[in-house]
Amino acid sequence: MHEMGRILRADITSCVVGTWFERVTEPYFGAMVRILAAEGYHIFGIVYDIQVADDGLVRQLLSAEGLDPLILEDNRRNRNVPVEISVLFIGYLSEGTILHLLPPRPPLSLDEIHVCSAEEKRAFTTASASFGYFRHLLRNEDLPTGELLAAHLHDLGEVNSPGWLQQAVQELIVLLRDDYPRLMALMSALGDANLLSEARQ
Amino acid sequence: MNMKERIGYVVGGTLRSNLRVRLTCKPDTVQEGSFVVIDGTPYLFYSLVTDLQLGATDPRFADEQFEQRIDPRLAQMLLGQTLYTNIEIMPVLMQETAPDDQLSTGDEISHPIPVKTIPEHHSIVRMAHQGDIEAIFGSVEKKGNFVVGTTREQELPVCIDLEKFVKRSSGIFGATGTGKSFLTRMILAGLIHENQASVFIFDMHNEYAFDRNDPDTGGRITGLTSKFKGKLQAFGLGPSPMVSGNALSSLMIAESDIEPEDILLLSKELNLRETTDATLNALFSSKGTQWFTFFKGLEPGKRITIDEEGEKTEFAADSVEGWARDAGIHPEAAKALHTRLRKIFNKDYIIADNKKAQDSLKTIIDYLQNGRHVVLSFGNYESDLDYLLVANILTRRIREAWVQQTNDYNSHHDKPKPRSLVITVEEAHKLMTGEMASQTIFSTIAREMRKYFVTLLVVDQRPSQIYDEVMSQLGTRISGWLGDDADISAVLSGLSNKDNLRGMLAHLQEKEEVLLLGWGVPMPLPVRSRRYDDEFWQTLLKNKSKAAGNQSESDLKAVLGF
Repeated sequence: MHEMGRILRADITSCVVGTWFERVTEPYFGAMVRILAAEGYHIFGIVYDIQVADDGLVRQLLSAEGLDPLILEDNRRNRNVPVEISVLFIGYLSEGTILHLLPPRPPLSLDEIHVCSAEEKRAFTTASASFGYFRHLLRNEDLPTGELLAAHLHDLGEVNSPGWLQQAVQELIVLLRDDYPRLMALMSALGDANLLSEARQ
Repeated sequence: MNMKERIGYVVGGTLRSNLRVRLTCKPDTVQEGSFVVIDGTPYLFYSLVTDLQLGATDPRFADEQFEQRIDPRLAQMLLGQTLYTNIEIMPVLMQETAPDDQLSTGDEISHPIPVKTIPEHHSIVRMAHQGDIEAIFGSVEKKGNFVVGTTREQELPVCIDLEKFVKRSSGIFGATGTGKSFLTRMILAGLIHENQASVFIFDMHNEYAFDRNDPDTGGRITGLTSKFKGKLQAFGLGPSPMVSGNALSSLMIAESDIEPEDILLLSKELNLRETTDATLNALFSSKGTQWFTFFKGLEPGKRITIDEEGEKTEFAADSVEGWARDAGIHPEAAKALHTRLRKIFNKDYIIADNKKAQDSLKTIIDYLQNGRHVVLSFGNYESDLDYLLVANILTRRIREAWVQQTNDYNSHHDKPKPRSLVITVEEAHKLMTGEMASQTIFSTIAREMRKYFVTLLVVDQRPSQIYDEVMSQLGTRISGWLGDDADISAVLSGLSNKDNLRGMLAHLQEKEEVLLLGWGVPMPLPVRSRRYDDEFWQTLLKNKSKAAGNQSESDLKAVLGF
């Protein structure tokens, strides 16, 4: 599994990873990632944002006319500012046990981050029948929760059974049933993701 | 517990009101009145469903039809989690659950007692099963238990304890066409079969004694005499009674048996005036038990001359007016009463020959005291006047015999204990209505409960017309559908949890569903009443031979009609 970047900054609930243009194709919105923390435990997270920030040179290039395509490509790949990937922590692995809890300490700067393999995704998401990691996703109301969960479940639907997917949706409905607007946004997103279609099953 | 039996779990409520239960099954699995059990620790709570309520975590989930907006499968999952049904249940009895070691050692298991506490949150609620029904209403196999119907959902047999049933007066109610008469027949058959009491039936409409055609179905309805030959004797009112082509033993009424209160009870039928009471009292004071014969013999308007010339006349002493003058009664009042009583004077079942009348009455009383049963058919005398008059007189005379026997029994240890007697009264409201009701023999019997071993089985379609005090004394009440609020209130008079029971009563099916209520049943329960058909008789007669095998010689003699 390729390293997709390194930690730029982190707190106990999330981190921002810096990566380069050519590696941006690997992490995607809703992808599960794993950080090998310096203290030996693995932190699991979900990508909830990817930011491509501008810098002074990009601004100048944008205002120039008739640029050579080679110059454009060069400035895309060899930027001064890295692409920033925001990751929300959803649990960690310590001494062989997966816990759907926040890590005891945040990762350190420049710790490596990897996109999870199918096996890692399955192991993490089936570690608890109660889908405890959902609470981390639902806690932050500023997140595009519906879209994020739809992307995550779409991703996990590829590696887990249809039964798991149904249980996951049921659990989300239970968790959000007292919050009509958010639940309806989630339902709408899940519907668009075509999660429960015959074809997927 | 089998998870299939589970219907929900307790989510709230109070002891004073009801408990709320979240259903985990489809709402139509339970109905108002369903018998459910809360598996609490350490008690089982035997309860009735009193209400069903649809709910939603947010009203908007209930308002919108999501199948049209989102994937139908998602919509189904969404509605499954956000819409729910709560039921309200009324715990009635509780019973301590036996620990496993107690079950194995055979120690005595506690009996159900009125509910005094409530179960914990999330206690599991399930439909009652056969064991629960038997724990509360008794086993079908137990002698004296009579299957009155089945639970509506699982069709489990529900019994009433006939021994308890006859300890107080009882009532069977329901609007016309709800099956009162069939249910009454079955209970009477049960009483006769189980030999719990002697039964005396006032058969106003000639429907209990002999086989007859069912006007609704055209089928044949079996009469009680067909199945209890030798145990049940049919009498008919009048000199040569015939019912359905069957000649009956004759019952005549002696004029000396008629008392002023019997006449007052007929105020409506005879259109009596307010002065009647005073006139009757004067008659009874002066002539005693012969008042009726005396008054009947008076000639209205008869005059005699009082001077030698024959010009002056006055009312004769044997005229109505003459007697009134001598007794200090207004002549017009006496005359009016005499005119109105002609309806009774002309009845051919009322005779002056006291001995002949007393013999037929004594025969009936002897039958009843010796463990046999009697149906009195009214034949062609189907008017309210005949029914009210005869029922009142006979009941009073029968009770007097039982009072005498009870007093003898209480004062002399060698005297036999009086046999329990159940007097069945149809159209009871006609006998127990209005101001007079408190003074009639029927009210007296209802109040006495079983002091003299005589109780009533009241059968009526207008319980609201029955005197309150009588209604409140009825132990077991079995009611079919009633449409009138006042009738429903009357059936529930003197009972707790009226509001809950009112709904159950009002929502009974018009046919074949009844609500068991009152002191005689451990808890109220709506049941699908048993059908009065060949199967009923086959089951009863099969049990008869089984029951006979367990009876003593004296019991057997009674069963056989000796």
